[in-house]
Amino acid sequence: MRIENKSIREINSLFQKKEIKPSELYKQVFENTAQSESVLHAHLKLFEEDNLNKVKLSDERYIKNKSLGLLDGIPIAIKDNINLKGYETTCSSKMLSNYISPYSATVINKLDEQQVLYTGKTNLDEFAMGSSTENSAYGLTRNPWNTECVPGGSSGGSAASVAARSSIAALGSDTGGSIRQPASFCGLVGFKPTYGTVSRFGLIAFASSLDQIGPITKYVDDTRIIYHSIRGFDPKDATSVSDKPVIIPSNKTAKVGVIKELMEEGVSEDAKNEVEKIIKLLKAQGIEVIEVSLPLIKLAISIYYLIAPAECSANLARFDGVRYGLRADGKTSYEMMERTRAQGFGSEVKRRILLGTYALSAGYFDAYYGKALLARKKMIDEFNQIFKQVDYLISPTTPTQAFKAGEKTSNPLEMYMSDLCTIPANLAGLPSISIPTGLSKEKLPLGVQIISKALTDDSLLDFSEMIEKEVAFKEEPSDWIK
Amino acid sequence: MSNQFDIDNVSKLASIELEETEKNKLSQDLSIILEHVQAISNLEFDISVDEVFIHPLEKQLNLQEDVVEEFLTHEEALSNAPESKDGKFIVPPSME
Amino acid sequence: MQYNPTIGIETHVELKTNSKMFCRCKVVDTEEPNVSLCPTCLGLPGALPVPNKKAIEFITLLALSTNCKITKQGMFHRKNYFYPDLPKNYQISQFDLPVGINGSLKIVLNDQEAEVAIERVHMEEDTGKSTHMGTGRIDSATSTALDFNRSGVPLVEIVTKPVLKTSLEAVAYIEELRQLVLDLGISEGKLEKGNLRFDANISVANSESDVLGTKVEIKNMNSLRSLERAIDYEIERQIKALNNGEIIAQETRHWDEGKEVTKPMRSKEGSADYRYFSDPDIPNMVLDEEFVNIIKSKMPKLPYQKRLELMQTGLSIGEANILSKSNDWIVKLFHDVYSTTKNSSSTYNWITGELQGQMRKVEINELPSWFKADSLSEIINLIESNKISFSSGKVILAALLVKNVTPYDVAKEQNLFQENDSEKILQIVKNVITENSEVVVRIKNGEDKLIGFLVGLIIKSSGGSINPSIAKDLLSKELEE
Repeated sequence: MRIENKSIREINSLFQKKEIKPSELYKQVFENTAQSESVLHAHLKLFEEDNLNKVKLSDERYIKNKSLGLLDGIPIAIKDNINLKGYETTCSSKMLSNYISPYSATVINKLDEQQVLYTGKTNLDEFAMGSSTENSAYGLTRNPWNTECVPGGSSGGSAASVAARSSIAALGSDTGGSIRQPASFCGLVGFKPTYGTVSRFGLIAFASSLDQIGPITKYVDDTRIIYHSIRGFDPKDATSVSDKPVIIPSNKTAKVGVIKELMEEGVSEDAKNEVEKIIKLLKAQGIEVIEVSLPLIKLAISIYYLIAPAECSANLARFDGVRYGLRADGKTSYEMMERTRAQGFGSEVKRRILLGTYALSAGYFDAYYGKALLARKKMIDEFNQIFKQVDYLISPTTPTQAFKAGEKTSNPLEMYMSDLCTIPANLAGLPSISIPTGLSKEKLPLGVQIISKALTDDSLLDFSEMIEKEVAFKEEPSDWIK
Repeated sequence: MSNQFDIDNVSKLASIELEETEKNKLSQDLSIILEHVQAISNLEFDISVDEVFIHPLEKQLNLQEDVVEEFLTHEEALSNAPESKDGKFIVPPSME
Repeated sequence: MQYNPTIGIETHVELKTNSKMFCRCKVVDTEEPNVSLCPTCLGLPGALPVPNKKAIEFITLLALSTNCKITKQGMFHRKNYFYPDLPKNYQISQFDLPVGINGSLKIVLNDQEAEVAIERVHMEEDTGKSTHMGTGRIDSATSTALDFNRSGVPLVEIVTKPVLKTSLEAVAYIEELRQLVLDLGISEGKLEKGNLRFDANISVANSESDVLGTKVEIKNMNSLRSLERAIDYEIERQIKALNNGEIIAQETRHWDEGKEVTKPMRSKEGSADYRYFSDPDIPNMVLDEEFVNIIKSKMPKLPYQKRLELMQTGLSIGEANILSKSNDWIVKLFHDVYSTTKNSSSTYNWITGELQGQMRKVEINELPSWFKADSLSEIINLIESNKISFSSGKVILAALLVKNVTPYDVAKEQNLFQENDSEKILQIVKNVITENSEVVVRIKNGEDKLIGFLVGLIIKSSGGSINPSIAKDLLSKELEE
């Protein structure tokens, strides 16, 4: 097996045994990138030259048996809404085309402890608003499995980068499915941790109460290694939690619930079949699987499309041309700000800002944002009730396989529907993972989503790993891996 | 509730200048979305907004000690400024 | 027609914390721009706010000391408006769940205690500072320069109910509030530095009506003097307008310090829809009983309590009010001196008059280390017991401020002790009468003013140590015989 197809633990073991050097792996992933990048456009910026010294030092550490951890020398791509000191963070927006962050996100500081090699900044839907990576001011990203299709979004660049083996793993951010959906579309593992377990400091906020950073990887174990490296209480993030992880005693005796509302209309047969396949597999393991109902999930998209735009309308107010980023001309400050925002933001971002502004405005707050908050609270209560009966919830990750570029751009609502299955976990702050389970007739990847109780991330990963072993999904987007 | 969307007022509040064509397209899009989310505004709940914890895990705030830390240098703070002079950010006049 | 004014005051108090409200940048007092900044207070992408514990303790102290009800389950809200010196284009503030509500503050007005109803006390962050550049006139600025050092500095906003009636009452309220924040140790309390900034809401209504008039907000008053004048001006303006049959517009006006008039503001802030919503970056803030009890245990003596203690010595409320708004060492000195003199009036006069006057003369702000309360007590007691004259007391006090001596030493050295023995004084009086028989005759012929001349001779012949009032009494008696 080619080295870039191996798991992080295997690669690290080869580094330790000095059978291969970090610099060789590094060279290999950039060779892969050279093959694919012009077609896929997974990255906004590649750091090949920037890391040469860092790679050499990593080689030396392994030679001296002084490596800094499992991620020492591992090439990882970073979604371009996560700040890396001294580099552009554009969020795929014209607004920030020339913005260089003077500080690094907490997750980057944590990865720096192991001298992770950052391969580049990956493409995304502008300010992480979208489900296809088509809303990028710098051009769309294509799906390595079928370049006519989108890689999903908003972390589509991160998913495409890992799928095309341009990096061993990638960081993404997930507000309504932005890690899990592209992971599913690209045949990868995508994990959104429990809200607050990974610091958001340095992640450019879309919707603060929903955003969470997480990994996109080929294997569940890779996800575990990265998650363990980036999680932890951060005094710079008031929403970060200091609670100890909660363990679900035994995955052998775990009880699983199939979310009824996510197995109904609006979800393709392909997607449902994957879930059925996993249910069979779990039952064969002696695990009890029951159907459960969370009625408010039917309202999840409506709740989400009020709360997320409301929060983003304030979060993105800081982009005004005063202190950084794009500045348009204007006779007064106000005119300058209005024009800067007109020129700097793309149409999806404007749509959401205006929607959120409206939902918060005088006379509409109670009917829109206020009601959404209440409905969200009730939905969280429903999850809490369900988790008294079952340990894990299972559903499709996405209603369909990857769709074609341009297919859903004309109707925003249709695009929003592709987050149907992933949004509830964000609204409830729950850990949720998508794991690849098979290919469709069209040879496009399909995945299932598993959700568990808040803070049970470690158990969720163990449980997912068990499924991963049983499924034994070994397919690759072969065009790009020669 | 009416979905009549006062695009001029909303774009002013959001400080985004819109072209006429943009206004029409956005008004239309937003009306469709608002119609979809309408389902929520018709619901009645037995709780009030003030009772809702903003943290999805219903966590309480941990305050931080009043200890000074240095972060950005003056140069770093101004490094992305579109315009600056004498150590200050410069913008077009903010008083008309 | 008779009109009654109604005034409400909103005051921003800058707290005296080391670091800012939502980040750990130092709170600085410098002209050097943009030197205390981080991603949070500069509103950089990806930065997050974390509230300052000390600031929350401070605001809770203020809320408790103004008898506010503490909100157990509070939260922070975002107040959205675009302004170049507001880095995030929203201000983190509090909306419907402020730290304290429904309190009151005892003030002294016209030598009587009064109470001002407080509506709310809430926490927020300050903005950066704008300087309008160009021709020097705000109207024709060519650009605006921004310094964000002040951005994120903790502010408490304390809002009265619309209950004040006069500009004097407003001034007395601010004076009391200023003393309160000083005594609580939560603010530098310097008006000239903008540590306390106030806006006034003013309306006038027909005295026969129960309905309040249209509210006008006055901004930009940066001293007590401008507060007083602006309120008086605005009340007058509104009454005049009503008398002319005009309608008062609900608006924000700006106090023009130079012209001493209020003018409508043309700022865009006026009609804003702030779209308040709970800040998702900051979980709900729970101020439970345990926290509140800890804060209560740290409560110092409040200005009104200081006044009460001072009034118990016999001072009037006016005197007690003046003393209570003086430096701590002055209040302590008063109590220490009073404990031995038991004479509140002379203690008060010596401290507020002679002592502070002489300190100004020698340009010192603090008492010298050797200066003890007992020394002042001794001076007062020496005067009270006629051992020295009042003017000798002043001489002794002056000496004590410049060198480490005791009042007794000074009196002795400068021969300031008075001769109070009537027998001895009478002997001298008799001698002087004998030696100046011509003068005595002239006095008896009606030249009364010569009595003073004889008193002078008597004191002079004693070497200056005779109690002049005794000498005068004895001389008068002798002359009558």
